[in-house]
Amino acid sequence: MLTINLFNGLVYGALLIIMCSGLALIYGLRRVVNFAHGSLYMLGAYIGYSIAGATNFWVALVAAPAIMAVLGVLLDRYGFRLLQDRDPLSVVLVTFGLLLVIEDFVLTIWGKNNFSMSVPAALNTSVDLLGTPVPAYRIAVIVVGALVAIGLSLWLRYSKIGLFVRAASTDPTTTAMQGVNTDVLSAGVVGLGTALAGLAGVVAAPFLSLSPSMSSDVIIDSFVVVVIGGLGSLAGAFVAAMVLGMIQALGAVYLPDAAALLPFALMVAILIWKPAGFAGSRT
Amino acid sequence: MTLQRISITTLVALALGATVAMGVSSNLLSLLTQAVVYAVFAIGVGLLLRQNGMVSFGHALFFGFSGYLVGILLQMKVMPAELAMLVTLLALTVMAFLMGLVIVRVPGIAFGMLTLAIGQMFFLTASRSRGLTGGADGMSIDWPATLFGVAQSQLLKPGTMFLICWVTLIVVLLLLTLLLNTRFGSITEAVRDNEERARFIGIRTLLPRAAVYALSACVTGIAGLLSALNTGFVSPENLHWSLSGVALMMVVVGGHKVLWGPAVGAVVYFLAKDILGSYANHWMAIFGIALITVIVYSPSGIAGVLAKWVQGKNAPGTLSKTLGH
Repeated sequence: MLTINLFNGLVYGALLIIMCSGLALIYGLRRVVNFAHGSLYMLGAYIGYSIAGATNFWVALVAAPAIMAVLGVLLDRYGFRLLQDRDPLSVVLVTFGLLLVIEDFVLTIWGKNNFSMSVPAALNTSVDLLGTPVPAYRIAVIVVGALVAIGLSLWLRYSKIGLFVRAASTDPTTTAMQGVNTDVLSAGVVGLGTALAGLAGVVAAPFLSLSPSMSSDVIIDSFVVVVIGGLGSLAGAFVAAMVLGMIQALGAVYLPDAAALLPFALMVAILIWKPAGFAGSRT
Repeated sequence: MTLQRISITTLVALALGATVAMGVSSNLLSLLTQAVVYAVFAIGVGLLLRQNGMVSFGHALFFGFSGYLVGILLQMKVMPAELAMLVTLLALTVMAFLMGLVIVRVPGIAFGMLTLAIGQMFFLTASRSRGLTGGADGMSIDWPATLFGVAQSQLLKPGTMFLICWVTLIVVLLLLTLLLNTRFGSITEAVRDNEERARFIGIRTLLPRAAVYALSACVTGIAGLLSALNTGFVSPENLHWSLSGVALMMVVVGGHKVLWGPAVGAVVYFLAKDILGSYANHWMAIFGIALITVIVYSPSGIAGVLAKWVQGKNAPGTLSKTLGH
């Protein structure tokens, strides 16, 4: 019993890692808390659902994030870049407007019904984990989450573009003066962040059902994660995502009455103790 | 504004309300009543932005909470309804003040996310607890037969209900205008514009900010009471964060630089929703685009445009000026 709960915590934590790394990357470069990130996740899931219906899951897994990446680049070029001299709070409100537009778009195209996406045949088995059978697909989700976390960390730490991203997150003006084209860099990073939201959507689709309310569930959890972890801190977000995944999974079993409140209580407690989150020094 | 202008404006507004209450069809009246209730709600949210420079994504908490609290007090039959309304507002304000002491210290956008989280906490609690609040179904509020000496049947007429809400709106605006003309108003503006400098000249900054938070919660709580009176019902929907988002939208579209801006936003929101009619299914996209357009092209909102039009050169500044830290 404990094994399966811990396992489910890992699965949800991995999903949150994919979501929140996108959120944290965009915040790092553009200082924008993207309220539309959950809607982009939902859009990715629905696009993936349609592509998977026409072809198969594996095409959807690649194509949906690719489409979302293009959307992200456009969002940066015609949104965040034009608004970069505005106060951050105005830009947040713009992303809130975007959230409404995307939600309406999804409702118009796909309707109010719930959909479920079938698990790809290759992963439609169960694997024995310490004597408990667990679905292979969920193991794959954990692997994807781990790959995203490790891949992003290595990319930011060792590649030249990763260096530029870290520099621009610290001080965009100085970085631009050193000859880095921060506009192109931001477009790329926002594209990557949006693609990650789309990836999270496609990955989540086979084990969480698709519905118009799927965005608000996950965006609030994601906010809790990035605030607890420290806004813009990837490492903080990774740790916080795992902590939250575990709390959700264990809380649902051992404290069913209070489970829904635990993430918020944790967030309130952390913010009162450290207003910038446990890995953050910025606000 | 001089005292004379304030009193003239108040009288004109009251006369306008009376004319509307008598001359408009009852369908339009109930629409306008709803708009006025949300106008009070949005004024609460706008007050926080105007005097504190802080954006709350969780003010539905106070809107729903006051409805629930007055409903529970009436159900327990421990006090007359008039007193229950007063107790509700006092309890709400004290609670918001204590909350404010803690959360206004969280800077910038994290404050908004924190208010969102606290609001959702209350939403989930209300929708899951069965006993007192009726869970996800909500609870109906049993108002007594007479309230403030007026019979309930009289009270629930569209014209009366509209007038009650309208007068409340005017009184709230009047009291806030008078209050913000005092030293308290100047102090909160000083703290908003630059907290550090305000501290240097000897202002204690935490208390005024928490006080503004409590005041804005109280105004929103009044809207919650009006809504409870108007519909006789309160449900977890009243606490949901999407409602906070809608209120924020009214504030931005209406304009937050002047106190009455959010009220304009609320009226525009409801009228637009009504005029859109069958297109109203797409209200999210339409208002989303409107919100983006206003922020990009006219950050001071409809009220800003009106004020510019009336006053010519003495136009209020942009959104970013108020929000600038």
